[in-house]
Amino acid sequence: MHKDYQLVKDGALCQDEWHYSDDETALSDAPTIISLTRLKAEAEVLRARNAKLGVRLLADGNGKTKLGEDVAELAPYLDMLSLVSIDFPTYRNGRGFSAARILREQFNFDGELRASGDVLHDQWAMMRRCGITAFELAPTVSLEVFTKAMDELSEAYQPASDDQRGALWKRHA
Amino acid sequence: MAQHSSKGARFQAVTANRLSDGEVVYLTADNQWAETFPAADIADGAAAGEALLARALPADFELHVLEPYLFEVLQDGAHFKPASVREIIRAAGPTVRLDLGKQADAKQES
Amino acid sequence: MYRYDEFDHQLVGERVTQFRGQVERRVSGELSEDAFKPLRLMNGVYLQLHAYMLRVAIPYGTLSSKQLRMQAHIARKYDRGYGHFTTRQNIQFNWPALDKIPDLLEELATVEMHAIQTSGNCIRNVTADQYAGAIDNEVEDPRIISEIIRQWSTFHPEFTYLPRKFKIAVTGHDNDRAAIKLHDIGIVIKQNELGDIGYEIHVGGGQGRTPFIAKKMADFVPKAQLLAYLEAVMRVYNRLGRRDNSYKARIKIMVHETGEEEMRRLIEAEFAKIDASQMLSVPQAEADRISAYFANPAFAALPATSAAMETAQKQDADFARWVRANIVPHKQDGYAIVNISLKPIGGVPGDATDVQMEAVADLAERYSFDEIRVTHEQNLVLPHVRLDDLKTVYDELQAHELATANLGLISDTIACPGLDYCNLANARSIPLAQEISERFADLDRQYDIGELKIKISGCINACGHHHVGHIGILGVDKKGTEFYQISLGGSADENASIGTITGRAFTEETIVDAIETVVTTYKDMRQDGERFIDTYRRVGLDPFKERLYA
Repeated sequence: MHKDYQLVKDGALCQDEWHYSDDETALSDAPTIISLTRLKAEAEVLRARNAKLGVRLLADGNGKTKLGEDVAELAPYLDMLSLVSIDFPTYRNGRGFSAARILREQFNFDGELRASGDVLHDQWAMMRRCGITAFELAPTVSLEVFTKAMDELSEAYQPASDDQRGALWKRHA
Repeated sequence: MAQHSSKGARFQAVTANRLSDGEVVYLTADNQWAETFPAADIADGAAAGEALLARALPADFELHVLEPYLFEVLQDGAHFKPASVREIIRAAGPTVRLDLGKQADAKQES
Repeated sequence: MYRYDEFDHQLVGERVTQFRGQVERRVSGELSEDAFKPLRLMNGVYLQLHAYMLRVAIPYGTLSSKQLRMQAHIARKYDRGYGHFTTRQNIQFNWPALDKIPDLLEELATVEMHAIQTSGNCIRNVTADQYAGAIDNEVEDPRIISEIIRQWSTFHPEFTYLPRKFKIAVTGHDNDRAAIKLHDIGIVIKQNELGDIGYEIHVGGGQGRTPFIAKKMADFVPKAQLLAYLEAVMRVYNRLGRRDNSYKARIKIMVHETGEEEMRRLIEAEFAKIDASQMLSVPQAEADRISAYFANPAFAALPATSAAMETAQKQDADFARWVRANIVPHKQDGYAIVNISLKPIGGVPGDATDVQMEAVADLAERYSFDEIRVTHEQNLVLPHVRLDDLKTVYDELQAHELATANLGLISDTIACPGLDYCNLANARSIPLAQEISERFADLDRQYDIGELKIKISGCINACGHHHVGHIGILGVDKKGTEFYQISLGGSADENASIGTITGRAFTEETIVDAIETVVTTYKDMRQDGERFIDTYRRVGLDPFKERLYA
């Protein structure tokens, strides 16, 4: 269900301690990322499980209009979650940017936010600004390319989930 | 893109735009990309059309041209001409600026 | 006018460097076209029929002389000696080579301009009333808040990959010249009883294949909260707007399908959350800094009338006609707003040559406090010209074929580039605009017809605003041949309306006759002082239909 990837977290390549599980397999004590469907269905059992839990938020494929899963549905479960993996099914689908900011700014989620899926180079820096800290990169992308892309724009015009205030505010700081 | 090859077209040619400057180009009989329509290779029949398009799609062409496609051409005496207004305009240049595009180059040469 | 500071310079400069790298990677083969296309589009580079096209942003339609001269320079050096002003107050170049575009953008950045977000599913260049700061009875100059919106929306990390493109327009005047009700968000600046400035917000207008007039979502958003409100609209749209079908992805469809009430509830719920953080309240000092750039120029104290102008009007009938048609009263005594028509009889609507652009830049420098405006109707404006200088300005314009006295008349047509240039078009637009203006070339006949806005699009995407033309013309394709559909009764002003299609389409040979039939029908039926749109609204479609298909 999940493509091969290399994980870059806080700017460095690292071993991924997490793995994705389908909706049927029994969960081990290893850090596991499950679907929102499973999270909702098994919340009570999962709450008793003494291991790190993550959830994958799908941006696409939810019924005819493909609105995707709503980040608001995570609200009751935030205390159980150490990670949210936000799906970017194509670079065109930017729903996940809003999901990330809502998690950080409105739900005060301080666990790992990671981006998975098909993204463009210049989207990584935008994701970081929206509070995403970990990136599942295609195996063909080098860390050098990633790092360079992150630094292409040094300033921001507007505040978001990171600590850049934006030019309209910074000018009079 | 609005006007492409119509189903049932007998004669077809392949066109694309050049990567470096967007110039309209046509696939020639010796697999080159030419700037003028008369140099285009013409396929007769649907199967020949598909074969012609296949010749335009190898990966190394991606470095030179964008989005090759088939379009209908009509026989006009001994010559061929594009069938749709769109392809007539692509082959010549803007109808409101006869001093620009391929039509202008043709004028200079003659 | 707004001037870049170090932030702006640095960001625009870095963007050029970034794009240069992307172009190099594409040309070397490192990037495929699939990967490169979204990057070039984000920088305003399209592939059209004959070449690439570059769309340069003109924020809220305001240019300095230096900036307009740069457009002339670009037209000469990188293009074929002309540019095309668009209905989004931008300028397009039709022939730049891809590998030269980074150099072009670098030169453009030296005059504080760029092509960022002129394409792609992001917040596009903000447009505004072209008479901003010059017209009487304006609540506030719309460019102040437009500049703040420009900055807030540039490289917005959350809203650069929206379901579809997003267009914002602002007016500070009751007479809407910015077509705000045909935008994704339209903003009208208002003053409440307490004297505070705020914003009336309209959401979900648009044209394209499913036209809608925007719904009023908020009566009065206080000044300090505007960005929070806009961010709320954007977030609701980004989360809940459709992505399954690009024709149903604009916010207008979401407003329509969700319903006005529910949409308002969603926006207000999100607004409450965002506003609570105070994160988006622009500091007063920064708001003041930006306002100061749009302060009145140093107007002289002048009498309300000019003897020089009146004498010239008596001596030169052409000048008098131009004054009557193209001059709009200014808020300051002794000054006028000068409209420069880019619709010469038989010309290409919105096109200007390098020499013409330089001539206008010179005039602006000498007679209009260094300012030029671009209108969504594809004309230019010198916003602050002394009445005493009008004749001199007119003579100069005349020498450059820029003094056609047809503003708002039948030959002042909006037309998209159409099938002469555009990759999406089904039919040509420009030749039709040319034929119509030639058919009605006689200016006295045009004055007799009065205000009549013809708008022509070469496909259903409606870049030529045909839905809101008093007479709208839509080019359609039938098996590779062009046909033209007529709609009547559209309007883009404060009384915005969508036109109604008359019936079956006309051929290229019969369409101009059909337009003449519509005009004759109006003239036969009009009552005293009625404009075309007034008569149409009184009598409806049927009389026109009868004559058209008789």
